[in-house]
Amino acid sequence: MSLGRRRFLESSVAGALACWLEVPRLAQAKDGAQLIRRTERPLNYESVRSTFTTRLTPVDRFYLRNHFDIPQVDAAQWRLKIHGLVEKELALSLADLERMPQFTVEAVLQCAGNGRGLFTPPVPGVQWRYGAMGSAEWTGVRFKDVLALARPKSDAAFVQLQGAERPTMTTTPQFIRALPVAKAIHPDTLLALRMNGKPLAPNRGKPARMVVSGWVGDDWVRALEDVQLRADEPKEFYYDPAYRFPVTPGAPGAPIPADQMKPMTKLNVKSIIGSLADGDTLRAGTRQLAGVAFSGEAGIERVELSFDGGKSWTPATLDGPPTPYGFRVFRHAWKAAPGKYQLACRATDSNGATQPETPVWNPGGYLYNAVEQLRVEVRS
Amino acid sequence: MIRALLTALILAAAPAADQKSLLQGKLPDDPARKVVQGKCMLCHTGDYVTQQRLTQGQWQKTVDKMRKFGTPATDDEAKAMVEYFARYWTPDLPPQRPVRAALPPGSAPGK
Repeated sequence: MSLGRRRFLESSVAGALACWLEVPRLAQAKDGAQLIRRTERPLNYESVRSTFTTRLTPVDRFYLRNHFDIPQVDAAQWRLKIHGLVEKELALSLADLERMPQFTVEAVLQCAGNGRGLFTPPVPGVQWRYGAMGSAEWTGVRFKDVLALARPKSDAAFVQLQGAERPTMTTTPQFIRALPVAKAIHPDTLLALRMNGKPLAPNRGKPARMVVSGWVGDDWVRALEDVQLRADEPKEFYYDPAYRFPVTPGAPGAPIPADQMKPMTKLNVKSIIGSLADGDTLRAGTRQLAGVAFSGEAGIERVELSFDGGKSWTPATLDGPPTPYGFRVFRHAWKAAPGKYQLACRATDSNGATQPETPVWNPGGYLYNAVEQLRVEVRS
Repeated sequence: MIRALLTALILAAAPAADQKSLLQGKLPDDPARKVVQGKCMLCHTGDYVTQQRLTQGQWQKTVDKMRKFGTPATDDEAKAMVEYFARYWTPDLPPQRPVRAALPPGSAPGK
């Protein structure tokens, strides 16, 4: 299967620009500068491509996405209120949560808008390219165990979530999300207290954050403070109309009627080569390629690599045990002969879903997962 | 013919000088810049603007949304902002230069 000529040209132009704009800057990066700043306030930083060669993403290289300023939460004073359609309203402390059985889940956190900056025509919003994602080991209590303490009533269908963050202006909508009860009580939906083994930092959701394994990052509410069980879906801006994806995507740039937009749920299948950047020049010889792949609630079945722009594909080796929600590292020992190459990687999940050649354009710029291409030159 | 060529060259050179600072994320000098600095930057930095590549219609919708969120701009100020944004941050402008940065404060784990 070959990628279309138009896409090839577009990606070549974009690639040339990316090469010109990015590679010299990255080469000059000082130690510790492991992220790309998209916005200074609120803090929105994405990981650099070379981050994506390991199963777990180190916290200091993990992207940050914020709608508002990061709240300063006193963990000793913090309480999690649970109310609404419950038999018993609760206010739990961090100590209460720490006394409960703890579980660990390995899962990808990805901003719904990761890749927004790659859509044509452009879409407003933070112009993430490839780095608004990471995978971590999240440890904490099962959210179903927390909800069970409050004894939800039988007509509770949605769980509304709000964290400690607040907008600067009172007229700005607050960040409120909701999960259907079925996902909220899934055993792999956690209220996490730790990330990669360490207590959550303020910008990771100290002291407790949602981990909605396999689902988009907007549901992973940080510094969770308020949980309301309800029969219907909220009408708050960040739930409706924001963070929605068309039921049937239209032509790029075309508006979609509001009633055809539904809340996003699962992440889609995606892969990225982390060990090379677009425009790289390599010495001939055996080159060890590595990258990561993942897909919502399904594990990765295979990753294939192409060195000729998608005309032919060769399987990569998958590292380690399967994981339903985390990064699966893939590798390939490439016998690189002198020449110019267009590399691509393509993942397929255990449900048979595979990455498309062209992205599915949508008005929010969400869930970009097209097969990406890197232009690489090998010199003798 | 030569005059036309010279004119074309001058026209081509002028935006190129602007483009360099645009790609560095700078807000060009303009009466609307003060409005942007005074009204938009109450809640967020200017990079929310400078990384966008939008049509005039998209800029209009963005400013409308921000006013609904509370940006204290008058109708005239909003009009000036839309025109300012649509003049510089257009869909055909190349992407902004990425800025490498270390993780900002507040990232250390702990209770």
